[in-house]
Amino acid sequence: MAGELMPPEGVPLKLRIAGIGVRIAAQITDVAITLVASGSILILFAALRFTDPQTLLAIGALLFFLIRIPYYVFSELVWNGQTLGKRLMKIKVVSHDGGSLTTHALVLRNLMKEAEIFLPATLLFTLNSATPVASGVAFGWIVIGLLVPLMNRHRRRLGDLMAGTHVIHLPVPVLLKDLANEMRVQTEKRKPYAFLSHQLDHYGAFELQTLEDLLRAQNSPPVAKRNRNQQATIAALVETIRKKIKYADTVPSKDNLLFLRAFYNAQRQHLEQRQLFGDRRKNKHHVMEDDIS
Amino acid sequence: MEQYDLMRSARFRKEREPEWRRLEALVSEAETRGLHNMDFKAARDLAAYYRQATTSLAIAREITLDKALLEYLEALTARAYLSVYAPQERIGSLIRRFFLTSAPQAMRRSWLFILLGFLCMGLGALTGFMLYFENPAWFHVFIPPELANGRGPASTTDYLQSVIYQQDPDSTGLGAFATFLFSHNTRIAIFVFGLGVFLCVPSVLLTFFNGLGLGALYALYVDRGLGIDIGGWLSVHGVTELSAICIACGGGLQLGSAILFPGDRTRIAALQLAGHDAVKLAVVASIMLLVAAFLEGFARQLLQDLSGRYILGWGVGLIWLAWFILGGRSRR
Repeated sequence: MAGELMPPEGVPLKLRIAGIGVRIAAQITDVAITLVASGSILILFAALRFTDPQTLLAIGALLFFLIRIPYYVFSELVWNGQTLGKRLMKIKVVSHDGGSLTTHALVLRNLMKEAEIFLPATLLFTLNSATPVASGVAFGWIVIGLLVPLMNRHRRRLGDLMAGTHVIHLPVPVLLKDLANEMRVQTEKRKPYAFLSHQLDHYGAFELQTLEDLLRAQNSPPVAKRNRNQQATIAALVETIRKKIKYADTVPSKDNLLFLRAFYNAQRQHLEQRQLFGDRRKNKHHVMEDDIS
Repeated sequence: MEQYDLMRSARFRKEREPEWRRLEALVSEAETRGLHNMDFKAARDLAAYYRQATTSLAIAREITLDKALLEYLEALTARAYLSVYAPQERIGSLIRRFFLTSAPQAMRRSWLFILLGFLCMGLGALTGFMLYFENPAWFHVFIPPELANGRGPASTTDYLQSVIYQQDPDSTGLGAFATFLFSHNTRIAIFVFGLGVFLCVPSVLLTFFNGLGLGALYALYVDRGLGIDIGGWLSVHGVTELSAICIACGGGLQLGSAILFPGDRTRIAALQLAGHDAVKLAVVASIMLLVAAFLEGFARQLLQDLSGRYILGWGVGLIWLAWFILGGRSRR
């Protein structure tokens, strides 16, 4: 699911919202890290005989508390909205309004984490049948805390709502080759397939980009069995396109890919040109929409 | 002569690709090494190329249908945006700013709410005190048995005195420190702050109830002629700790009143605005609770002298007050 973020430059960015699962995974990682840190200090204390065995548990709880609060706030400050767990899961806190993350927002969302996650979690450990009311309250609290992110589009928990933040998947920029250029290399020596303008009026951007995905998939190394299926798919596709656009000549099966590439180029050029003139064609249904209006 | 001219969107890409590649390198440098450690030229280029990339993205959305290119530009611009608009403040300066200016200023801005917090506690204490003298059985209502530590209207005066002046203090201060912090009062402070969102009511009630217990305990000792001694015993940590609860209550009230009386804003917006000061109050309260735990864990055992206890407790209280009143004032 994509959410929009409006940076000060005024060009909206589409960023994928991190779901509940990946955020819980990051949270578990962080809890493990802080637990290990506080556990090792506790063992050190015990070895140096700072404490009685009776108070060991209380001191452990205290250490965990004292380590985790600054851990979340400071790591998100230093790594720009990422704790170690979030780095591992490649997710990140961003400011909901597109500005930069403020210290206030990070402190607030992590203090609310205490009230939303850790306090009910400790209550959960104390659940028993002797105190049904308290147990019920703790359970209801946890359920509500978990439901809040599910109720809104950006999967924001209460702390996110108050601090004005949400969590996204970190996008990975990978620039693939331009298919239009590849075409030029391959067809330099041959007479290309040519299309007439009315033949290109059938499809829209969605079909074009689906074709793009398919053509890119051809570049990946083929597996024997998949290869045979692909051949069949491509042959069927060529046939469908030919019928739809009423392309009279038959295409020899060894030229199938070449035909598709040529069609991709021609179609893209055509659609981009239409778009420049204000005629955006989302998909093949654009013809019908025009008729209605 | 080339057999095919490149189409417009492919030319667009070809012209700008080197800049995008450079931006990609700069972004990964900023992400791994941090913006602070980049040299001036690189940091300047990062900002400049980022703005060019946003322009490219805006144009690309209009003129090209190349999905790969659109996705790349989208991701690249987002990454660059995140590293250009990263928080720039160092942790050291952040902590210094909190203690020197923003915390005391927030305290002064929300003086009315804090006063209300103290009022809740004070009225509670007064009520508890009066009710005890009406009927000592109230003691058991206000003070849960695990907190009373065996004290009650039935216990002997000697026992009551022995709790205050321990002959063999706990051997480990640290243990007492830790157990204290997770005891009653910290939990109260957290609840008092957090539940303020629910229209102030739980905060007021909890603080008042906390005051009731305090008043009843004090009344018990006054009843046995030990009023001054319990005052000293409570002063050591109580001045700091009870103030912390009142301040937490003030923060909670601030949140609740934002929801009750949002003024011209929407309730969410009012809550977010009130949150700015309320969070600082909560952080101040938690620091005070830590200090109180330290005082209770160590100082109260070491300091058995009555006047010493008064001086220490109220002295620390004065330091807090001085911080809140004098801190963060601009020099003229």
